[in-house]
Amino acid sequence: MRKKVLLKDIVKAVNGKVLHQGDCDYVRWVVSSGLMSDVLTTVEEEILLLSSLTTTQVVRTADMVGAHAILLACGKPISPDTVALAADLDITIISCEMPVFETGHYLSSLFFEE
Amino acid sequence: MPHRFPLLSEESSDKTPSLTMEIIFRLKVKDAMMTNLRTANKKDTFRVIQKVMRNNDISGVPILEDNRLVGMVSVSDIINALDRGYVEESVEPYMTKQLIVLEDDMPLSFAVSYYNKYPYRRFPVINKNKEFVGVLTTKDVLSTILNEMNNEITLLESQIFHDKVELPNQIIKEYIIKQFDFENAGHASFRLKKLLKEKEVSRKIIRRASVAAYEMEINVAIHSNGGKISFILEENSITIITKDTGPGIKDVAQVIEEGYSTANDWIRSLGFGAGMGIPNTKRVSDEFKIESEMGKGTTVKSVIFLEDTDEGE
Repeated sequence: MRKKVLLKDIVKAVNGKVLHQGDCDYVRWVVSSGLMSDVLTTVEEEILLLSSLTTTQVVRTADMVGAHAILLACGKPISPDTVALAADLDITIISCEMPVFETGHYLSSLFFEE
Repeated sequence: MPHRFPLLSEESSDKTPSLTMEIIFRLKVKDAMMTNLRTANKKDTFRVIQKVMRNNDISGVPILEDNRLVGMVSVSDIINALDRGYVEESVEPYMTKQLIVLEDDMPLSFAVSYYNKYPYRRFPVINKNKEFVGVLTTKDVLSTILNEMNNEITLLESQIFHDKVELPNQIIKEYIIKQFDFENAGHASFRLKKLLKEKEVSRKIIRRASVAAYEMEINVAIHSNGGKISFILEENSITIITKDTGPGIKDVAQVIEEGYSTANDWIRSLGFGAGMGIPNTKRVSDEFKIESEMGKGTTVKSVIFLEDTDEGE
């Protein structure tokens, strides 16, 4: 079983901002893509969906794969609809300024450190 | 005070119903403009044009030279000509030459914004070769929008379905999917997920069914003219069916291939359209079927057994 990584540690590592705090406070995997169909092919559970897309469909996709949280990178403007839908579905949604690649780098230390 | 359209004005755009917005973005200026208009030549006199206006009951005449728009003469130009005594002279030196024009391929939303920006009630329309092709008035815009809204509502009304007869141990749900309705695409799949949760279906099956339903729902919203999605939950299986009203798929074998897509950049910018939707659906389904007829529509059916098998994942 992969280790649990707490969302609050993730927020700290990427200098993120929590836009909605959902029920689950941890994840075990990170899935990152700008293509939602790619995300839908994953089989992992308890995931953090990392993307630079900010449409409501990112939240819908996260919901379909049962993601615990969404991290929107690149500091793009996020519409209130996207946040509202995440709140409706009770999925944690976090934003950060860093690009996806860099965000991934900072996250990896949390997931892979001994 | 210029004539203002409440649509698209800054303070109200967020509140405009999405159907109306969709219509004015989808329709082009050429869908609403008047064509076959009375036109005149710059050598014509105000007197001649006045007669054209009177005989045709119009209040403005475009002045053309080799199909190119070179000016406009309105009723107020005629009044000025009568008042100042040059009504028998050619219109060329007096006609309005600085014209604000629309292009026939522009979306109607663009024209609506023009009405908010400029004090005019009609705009001449040119095509991409700069040839004069028509005139767009506020009346044309209003009647076209009303007509289109009426068509949309008729279509929606025809899609309202009556409760399906459910057999014992069967639950049937149906939802309408509208073309390009990205705001709501995924809503039906969310309902399905909720239903399966309530019925205590295993998490793995719920995920497979949600992925299938969601990809199918998105496909109808992206690629078809709209349609519906149905869920039939039975004791041993969940069946998901999408049925759209066209345009149909030319080569069904091709769309099952991963990576085949006809999606445009706009769809791709939303995170879809990489040709993964149908292969994804097929992958998570225990049974999968797609049928399509050009001009008629496409039906996709996915069956997932509730008992966890190794198939599909």
